[in-house]
Amino acid sequence: MPGAIRVHRKSRLLPALFVLLAGCASIPPSVSELPVRGGSIELADTPFYPQERYQCGPAALTTVLAQSGATASLDDIVDKVYLPGRQGSLQVELLAATRTEGRLPYVIDGRLTAIWRELEMGRPVLVLQNLGVAAIPRWHYAVVVGIDAERGEVFLRSGTDQRRVTPGDTFLRTWQRGDYWGIVVLSPGELPANPDRSRYFEAIAALEQTGRAEEAAIAWQAALEHWPNDGVALLGLGNARLVLGDYRAAEDVYRELLDVDPGMVAARNNLALALAEQGKFAAALRQIDIALSENHDAALERELRDTEASIRRREAGGG
Amino acid sequence: MALQKARGALARLVSVSIICMGFAQVAPAGMIGTAHLVNEESRAASLSRIEILLARQDVSRQLEAFGVDQALVVERLNGLSHAELMELEGQIESQVAGGDVVAIVGVVFIVLLILELVGVTDIFKSF
Repeated sequence: MPGAIRVHRKSRLLPALFVLLAGCASIPPSVSELPVRGGSIELADTPFYPQERYQCGPAALTTVLAQSGATASLDDIVDKVYLPGRQGSLQVELLAATRTEGRLPYVIDGRLTAIWRELEMGRPVLVLQNLGVAAIPRWHYAVVVGIDAERGEVFLRSGTDQRRVTPGDTFLRTWQRGDYWGIVVLSPGELPANPDRSRYFEAIAALEQTGRAEEAAIAWQAALEHWPNDGVALLGLGNARLVLGDYRAAEDVYRELLDVDPGMVAARNNLALALAEQGKFAAALRQIDIALSENHDAALERELRDTEASIRRREAGGG
Repeated sequence: MALQKARGALARLVSVSIICMGFAQVAPAGMIGTAHLVNEESRAASLSRIEILLARQDVSRQLEAFGVDQALVVERLNGLSHAELMELEGQIESQVAGGDVVAIVGVVFIVLLILELVGVTDIFKSF
């Protein structure tokens, strides 16, 4: 029954073909999605760092860092993000290097309008493009410095081109193949043009984890102006102050937070630490007791017990 | 014997942790970090100290293996959040590395040229 086999094969091939065609046809983005028709914007004063071979990552990052007022040189950034064995730079290392320059990397929405809005705020956008195709990728970082919505063009600092003009639809295809990944570099205290709360908060929490408490404090404060009384932002501000050794201020923030959300165990745990640091051991242990009586989470209970033990050690003079 | 080996490993781990913790500011022991609340579902929030240290070690080794100067490794690690460390652990080889690298051979060249002409790719522009 060779014929049957052939039919069978064809029946498997057809859906595959459809998927392929659908894949080709499903390139939806277009410059027409822009909120402004016929408008144009360009941050012409954005500096330009022509790249060395394979070093589009450092060049693009130095560009957006410089525009945000950071003073790192291209060589500094090469040391921080270039990976010789891969002849390129990894996305997370671009984020990490941004933090070590005291700035906040924020991953924008993967839409042209998001780039437009950031440009309106004066911030160029670092994007990951795949200039090739999926099977033969040519991964490339560039910086979008302008968009002409009328002519459908995107202006880039790219490679060795100081002002590369790319047709909007070509740009969108190459950006789509880069998973629409793009970042802006924020100075602490600056908010993204259209901030996504959890993504922005993650960005600040990452600063905290990398030991940048001063910058984190400023960023949480700005967040609180945008989201007043937000529990996470208050905890973040308290934590930043605690790390900075400003125990009295940390205590105030944790108390404010507990007024808003009396059941937040993390806030009570950290308040206890802030109190203990000021030598108020009895008050600190009282907070732990309250937290233990309200808490039903096993992992948090361990944290609370650890904190309790460390407070008792300090009280006993163990440091 | 096995215990001694384990102790040795632990000592190395601790010494690495001390080097790695060369931060400007260190959170007081016991502080519950904000990342815990930012995304409660995220694995990174519930990572133990040891998990994070092991990831740092692994990523540090890999960065060196991929040609990063040893003196720069710690500084590079210091900018990574816990979630990013986990993302990189054992994965540096497979992550996208933007660097304009492309290998074009034979017939592929023709295909790419056509794609370029119809605006699908942008692969032949200057590096």
